[in-house]
Amino acid sequence: MNSISTQRSFQPDSQFQPVDLTKAGAPAVRFNNIKKTYTMDRVEVDALADVSGSIARQETTFITGPSGSGKSTLLNIMGLIDQPTSGELFILDEDVSRLSDKAAADFRSEHIGFIFQSFNLIPVLTVGENVEFPLLRRVKSASERREKAEQYLDSVGLADLIDRRPGEISGGQRQRVAIARALVTEPTLIIADEPTANLDSKTSLEIIALLDHMKSEFDTSVVICTHDTSLITAGSATINIIDGHTA
Amino acid sequence: MIWKIAFRNLTKNARRSVTTAMAIGIGGFAALLFGGFVTSIWFGVQTSMIQEQGNLQIYRQGYLEFGAANPDDYTIQGWDEVAALLASDPVLNQQLAVITPRIDLAGVAGNAQTGNSKTFIGSGVVPSQIDEMHKWDGWSIGQVSPASGLTDQVLDGVVIGIGMARMMGMCGPLNVADCQDRPVDEDALTEVETDFTSLVNDEAEITDLREGSVERPQLNLMAATSSGVPNIARVGIEAARPQAIRAIDNAYVMMHFEQARGLLYGDSQEATTLMLQVANPDQVDATKDRIQEVLDRAGLDLKVFHFTEVDPTFNRIFGMFTFMFIVVSIVLSIVIVFTIVNTVSMNVMERVKEIGTIRALGFRKGFVRALFLTESALIGLFGALIALSAAVVIANIVNSAGVQWTPPSNATPLTVQLMVLDNPLFAASVVGLLILISVVASVMPTFKAARLNIVESLQRA
Repeated sequence: MNSISTQRSFQPDSQFQPVDLTKAGAPAVRFNNIKKTYTMDRVEVDALADVSGSIARQETTFITGPSGSGKSTLLNIMGLIDQPTSGELFILDEDVSRLSDKAAADFRSEHIGFIFQSFNLIPVLTVGENVEFPLLRRVKSASERREKAEQYLDSVGLADLIDRRPGEISGGQRQRVAIARALVTEPTLIIADEPTANLDSKTSLEIIALLDHMKSEFDTSVVICTHDTSLITAGSATINIIDGHTA
Repeated sequence: MIWKIAFRNLTKNARRSVTTAMAIGIGGFAALLFGGFVTSIWFGVQTSMIQEQGNLQIYRQGYLEFGAANPDDYTIQGWDEVAALLASDPVLNQQLAVITPRIDLAGVAGNAQTGNSKTFIGSGVVPSQIDEMHKWDGWSIGQVSPASGLTDQVLDGVVIGIGMARMMGMCGPLNVADCQDRPVDEDALTEVETDFTSLVNDEAEITDLREGSVERPQLNLMAATSSGVPNIARVGIEAARPQAIRAIDNAYVMMHFEQARGLLYGDSQEATTLMLQVANPDQVDATKDRIQEVLDRAGLDLKVFHFTEVDPTFNRIFGMFTFMFIVVSIVLSIVIVFTIVNTVSMNVMERVKEIGTIRALGFRKGFVRALFLTESALIGLFGALIALSAAVVIANIVNSAGVQWTPPSNATPLTVQLMVLDNPLFAASVVGLLILISVVASVMPTFKAARLNIVESLQRA
């Protein structure tokens, strides 16, 4: 139904330059010697130490590891909501390791969709408005935004809940709304941080299957961070992080 | 959508929003009522003064600077010709409602019956024209001053201050309420009779100008003519009226213009000033310029002044109340600022995760700032609407109650009119200011919200 367009209407105004999505063969994400150090009580702690790897385009990749291993830190760096202490990060061969705050925001708006563990829907907005919300920066027409929201809600099977508030639907439904919200901007990359942690096992499997399906349908790459290895789908790539290193 | 989010967040925390809006509303309500009162002063006191003195006054050049030392050197000679000149100008003829002369004078007043005498300060006016001036209501506020108490036909009639009546021992004869006569000094009476009163009685020019004037309490006035010769008149007191300032009340005598002219200048057409009333207050400045132009063209050594240039009382009264209004407004603004800061800070604290989510979804810091500032603007607007509604209701109640107060410049009280909507610019300014204060007050917590670390925000429970 939707394919990644080669020409984006959104033109950021600062350091960020639109990525040429026609670069065939380049991985969606490539990271080299990523190091992330936190200072806690004057003691430096390495959350990630020289982590390297890549995320293939239009594939689902799982980042696994025990709690506190650094998998969420790697995911945050890939999602450009955190910066590495050192190392390089490329998304579709563009160096995005040191983008300014504005440029990082512009890049996220254009290329990255987020799915959170606690869904993080805006409680005062309806389901439809939540899905429309990321389009505010790029689509001026309210009717166009509404149309897109309906389209993506339909694709996750929730078109009939469009006027409900997040508080009026189940956890599984909220996560589906979050998936629609992540997809509505037609991103290059979807970052999902423990997307099933607050769901029962049956719903969790449904959500993972839905993400896997959406990856194919919308030509996007999906990175799922989870500590539950039972969710890993057959044939998916896996990056295992233990104590800040790739295992 | 940003307005939608802002509005829904306010309704979500309805109790907090209402409390904050009420705080803004009460502050705005106080500012509107006090401002309405100050507006009322602006119109009311100004109207009173224009009714007494006119909008504009013409003096001989240098009178305001040096006239007090020697007023006779600074009189307008041939005032009637000047008045005719102004009245004949086609532009001024349309704008000027009244042109009337006034003579300011001072001297000694004495009551031969009681032996009391004291200095007086007074003015000579044309009664019918003064009464016409008292009807001026350029801003249509329904304020009219009482008639002067003098008539054109009674040339020897005077109106004196209550204090003057007391000093002269005339409270009883004039039936003045709450006024006790100064005790009669028998020795002084003898002395006065032999000096002052006998001088009056001997003065050949003194004639009773009205038939039957003996029925009125009488006063003898002595003043120096322009040539320095003492001149004396016997006048009949028509009424005693309170004056705004005690020192003036104790010495005030208002008399017919012809009486004052006879005392000081004889047949010469001289006057201290020409008072001019402009029908439309919006045309005062233009009229002033036109008058000066006409006077200069005629080669007259005269200058026209706005009444506030001659008498600074209005500016002082209005300045005092404006200053009070500013101080009160600042205090209210501080209260509003703290309330808003508290409310927005709580909103930010409760929505840290939402802020992190919005930022992660690709919105810049500016969007977060705009979101919270919009909420503050909305709450400011609600508060302002509460303030405006309450102020209009209370102002109507107060205005219909007919409460009176006496401003420092007035001898007679004015009816309190809280002019909230009568000055739409003021009401709109207060509403705008409340919204602005609400927005400005929330800048700090809003910027703090926008600077939150995205990862840490998303980890918040």
